[in-house]
Amino acid sequence: MSHNQTIQIGQRETTLIGKLRLRLARRTEGRAVVLLAVVLIVVSFTEPLVFTAYQVSLGRIALIGLVALGLTAVILMGELDLSVASTLAVSGVVMALIPDVRLGVVVALGVGLLIGFINGFFVAVVGINSFIATLGMLFALRGLAFILSDEAPVRIADTDAGIAFGLAIIGPLTPRVLIFILAFILLQIFVSRVKAGREFFAVGGNRQAAYDAGIPVKRRIFTGFMISGFVASLAGAINTLERTAADPRAGLTVLLASFAAAIIGGNYLKGGRGSIVGTLIGATALGVLQVAFTLSGVQVPVQEIFIGLILLLAVTTDPASLRAVVGGIRSVFQGRLKFQS
Amino acid sequence: MAKETFTEVITVANSGEADVKKSRSALPWIADNGIFIFTALLLLFAALFVDGFASLVNITDVFHRAAPIGIVAAGMTFVVISGNYLDLSVVAQVATSAVIMLAVSNLYGVPIAMLAALGAAVLYALINGIAVGYFKANAVIVTLSTTYIGVGVLRFFSGGSIFFGPEDGPIRAFGTSKLGPIPYSAIVLIIVTLVLAFVLNRTNFGFVVRSFGSNESATRLGGVNTGLVIIGAFFVTALAAMVAGWVLAAFSNTAVSSMSTGYDFQALAAIIVGGTSVFGGKGSVLRTLLGVIFVSVLTNVLVLSNISFGYQQLALGVLIVVAVTVDALSRKAGKR
Repeated sequence: MSHNQTIQIGQRETTLIGKLRLRLARRTEGRAVVLLAVVLIVVSFTEPLVFTAYQVSLGRIALIGLVALGLTAVILMGELDLSVASTLAVSGVVMALIPDVRLGVVVALGVGLLIGFINGFFVAVVGINSFIATLGMLFALRGLAFILSDEAPVRIADTDAGIAFGLAIIGPLTPRVLIFILAFILLQIFVSRVKAGREFFAVGGNRQAAYDAGIPVKRRIFTGFMISGFVASLAGAINTLERTAADPRAGLTVLLASFAAAIIGGNYLKGGRGSIVGTLIGATALGVLQVAFTLSGVQVPVQEIFIGLILLLAVTTDPASLRAVVGGIRSVFQGRLKFQS
Repeated sequence: MAKETFTEVITVANSGEADVKKSRSALPWIADNGIFIFTALLLLFAALFVDGFASLVNITDVFHRAAPIGIVAAGMTFVVISGNYLDLSVVAQVATSAVIMLAVSNLYGVPIAMLAALGAAVLYALINGIAVGYFKANAVIVTLSTTYIGVGVLRFFSGGSIFFGPEDGPIRAFGTSKLGPIPYSAIVLIIVTLVLAFVLNRTNFGFVVRSFGSNESATRLGGVNTGLVIIGAFFVTALAAMVAGWVLAAFSNTAVSSMSTGYDFQALAAIIVGGTSVFGGKGSVLRTLLGVIFVSVLTNVLVLSNISFGYQQLALGVLIVVAVTVDALSRKAGKR
């Protein structure tokens, strides 16, 4: 497959349309753009309030997007971090338990880094599949959040700081949105301009080749999980500040939406392909959709069905899946086996 | 294709793993046999030191609670052995089956209710199986989304309300009957386990599921329709989840969409602790039964010792991670 790609890139396209086609063919965000377009068109007819109340929409996009951004770093390497929802809950509770807000935020972020490190250890050193390792962590950390919080929401000591945090500081932008934009820019620079970030793609595309090329694969995996843990704990701290309380059950609703955002954003689950921009587009689409649902009073179960359907659609329509299906159908009609590996 | 030549293909393809038994490390031995010792130690500990464990009432209660989880775990063993990690959507499947059982049987009788539940199970198996088997999508993500879709549909139609069965109906009678100290539900668990163990070990389908988990490409090259195998594995899981839903509905005589929360996780813990490998290809249904006993007794001991829900979850999560670590390290030790 990579062989085909080299040939494609090697071809010199001279016409404008040819250049454009080539450029588009290299992008992975197609499905996210389609989803966003559909959502925007439908919403602008049925629930235009979403755009008037854009502060709410932006806050929602920031919430989904922040977790999804961290996930993207891990997915690029062909791993997955299911524990983000619990990381969010645990770090929120830890933050609320510490009386001083500043210290609380720092400790919460430290907790996120530590969880990322533990995940990375199990995946890179022990060699457990990240799906199972982080699933175990998801449940273990949820338990930890319950233990720390005594199974009830914890109020933060300094409520004023929380209220101040919810207010807009630059124009209509609240600190949450600003942090999200900052995280987006930093991660975008990291994966597209920094050597370590570029190597994420190599690790995800072909781990053995990356290893042979002298890329410190294990260190990159650690980095990826620590980014994801850090970003999730950041989201947890922001949530706790905005609500002035930490709920040990937090994060479950975000989990599905952020996965859907990252996967529909064109981040291939087997790694090596994807982009931060795609995640942003996916998160925007899902955020707008959720706000539209809430504003028009759609029941929660129906919302869950829709987000679940989008996730199912996202994971079954990536190019590799479609190729597998088309290959399968073709082999039926041609009466011979078609091997994909 | 003849089974013998097929076995050869698989054996040749996996010859690297044949050395596992020769290694000197103790880990492979623990991964293989540890569960017997740990279960025995746990039972001994519980009987000696935990107040109220060794009473007839408590043992019956353990059986009652272990039965639905055990049935789910026995079915899910197929998905795990086929190398597809797990089926998270059992949570939705068990609840759907239980709700259908009580809601429909109140109106149309038990046989129609059973058929309706079967229809739901087939639907789950088809969606999960086609997405994973033919679209080659990741099983964890697919079943995560079908969980949310399923629970959402259930909550939408039931409105989140609780369904009650009639006090004197056949479902209630089944749920409360016992054979000595053993409730009927535990007998169902044992029957399901034996049937599934037979399917996994003695039929062509079970053979292909195991070979698929151990080497996917070799199985495909052997001329097996691998997509159908995956659908089959998910179908076995869906059927088991359906039966578990019936047992659960009969036991409590109530059904609500959130009644099976945590089943995915406890079943996975039981399967992995029992020694079935999440890397696929290795495992057995009877071992899963042992894992179920271990997990249920552990939970029971924690409950009896007044340890809070948070610690129980933490313990099970750590248990999964430790069990998988032992499995992974024993594989590494074997390869050296």
